[in-house]
Parts: sequence; structure tokens; C-alpha cells
Amino acid sequence: MAKVPRNFRLLEELEKGEKGIGDGSCSYGLEDSDDILMSNWNGTIIGPGHTVHENRIYSLKIYCGEKYPDRPPTIQFISHVNLPFVSQSDGTVDPNKLPVLSSWNRNSSIETVLVEIRREMASFTNRKLPQPPEGSTF
Amino acid sequence: MSLPKRIIKETERLVADPAPGISASPHEDNLRYFDVTIQGPDGSPFQNGVFKLELFLPEEYPMAPPKVRFLTKIYHPNIDKLGRICLDILKDKWSPALQIRTVLLSIQALLSSPNPDDPLAADVAKHYKEDEAGARQVSKEWTEKYAT
Repeated sequence: MAKVPRNFRLLEELEKGEKGIGDGSCSYGLEDSDDILMSNWNGTIIGPGHTVHENRIYSLKIYCGEKYPDRPPTIQFISHVNLPFVSQSDGTVDPNKLPVLSSWNRNSSIETVLVEIRREMASFTNRKLPQPPEGSTF
Repeated sequence: MSLPKRIIKETERLVADPAPGISASPHEDNLRYFDVTIQGPDGSPFQNGVFKLELFLPEEYPMAPPKVRFLTKIYHPNIDKLGRICLDILKDKWSPALQIRTVLLSIQALLSSPNPDDPLAADVAKHYKEDEAGARQVSKEWTEKYAT
């Protein structure tokens, strides 16, 4: 198979993100619409229903480095959230504690990361974790 | 990973017999991915500029068109802020009879004849339609600033 280079891969992801993905519970876009290197992205996750996260809107920063998608993006929560893989000092997601990042492969994408994080929010151990006040930020 | 003969042939010719004002060379680690430069055509506001682009031949090539994008900032109604190009042969007018060379020549021609009636950068197209001289001046300034 042809190996899609970083920039063309990110252009595909951008176009997909602009059209809107799935049911709209996760979304993402470029932080700066004329960032020709497409490194910095914003993401949003709407907390899954029937959990402590229900109706909360979480903002994240996503950074795709030069080696993306051979290497995973780095993820940082802007919105304050209590999850075992999120640093409570600055919101950084620990890639070793999130399988989609620790066992990263080229088929994964910004979308799959957001969807996986949302799935984690609804997991048995995370769905009832006490949360900081809604709307607070790191 | 084996490369289709057609791509090998095209690459050989691009390197051995490049079109005037155009260069294209494949990445060593991905022979479907090319670094491209296009010189701004004489008589256009892009004259004396050297524009960097990147080109990728997807798995389906030549049944699907190459993907091409400007890496150098350019003030042109058919090229957006991310360097994406609005050109019919890169979309619905693609034919497998076209080649990398013809695509790059078409992009060079697009620099000489902007088409503000089929815009990708709406603000630039509006500028070109309402004040062509002023818009060309901005294109020239951007060329001097970014494409040298």
C-alpha cells in the first residue's frame, strides 16, 4: 500500500473533521486556519450520558509533530477533568496509560483518540469518578 | 513495496528532462512523495518567485489524480491558506492520460491566469474581481516576501 505522507494525511483528517464525524460527540479542527504545517489542533468531547461527565463539554489541545502519523499526537486537556490517564497538574494525557496512544499505529487518527478518550470516560471505573466543578480549566 | 512501472517511468523523465521552471524529486523513503518547485511565470505577479509544493501519488494513481499542495504562502484566488489548489484536473477532470508533468504545467499556467470565478480563497477572489491591480500588487508583495 502507498504510504500517505504526514501532510496529506492531516489534510484528509481536516476535511473529515470539517464535515463532522459520527453523532457529533467528538469534534476537532485546526487551532489556526492558516497553519500550513497543521501541527496544532483543538478537540472537543461531549461527556457520555449516564456518567458523571454527562452534558459536560471538554476542550483539548492536540499536537501532531513532524513524525505523525508514525508517532502518536500529544494530547492535553484544557478543561479540568479527573481521569487516571490525565495529569492533575496540567491536563496532559499520559500516553502510557491510554492504549490508543501506547499501542499507536498509522490507522489511528485524531478522531480515534478522541473517541477512545470518550469511551474511557464511560468505563466502569471512570464513569463515577468525582469531578472538578464544571467549566473549570487547568 | 514495488512501485508501478508507470510511476518509475514518469519519475525518470521528470528528473532527466524537467519541464522549464519546474523541478520534482521523489523522497528517498517514499517514492510516491515528491518535493516540487515551480518558478513564477514571467509577466505574472509571481515572477521571480520560487514556490515549493508537495505532491503525492495515491495508491489508485493513475486512476485517481495526484494530490498536490503549495507549501509556500501565495496570494492567489484558486489557492487557499493551507496551499490547497482548486484546479479541475486535480478533481473531476482528471484523466489517467494526464501525468505528473502535465499537472505541474497546469499549476504553473494557473499562476499566469488566476480564475476568480471559481475561487477557493473567497477573500482573495473578491479582491481580484473588485481591484485587480491592487490584488496583483499584493500577490507580488507576497511573492517577494515568501517565495524567494
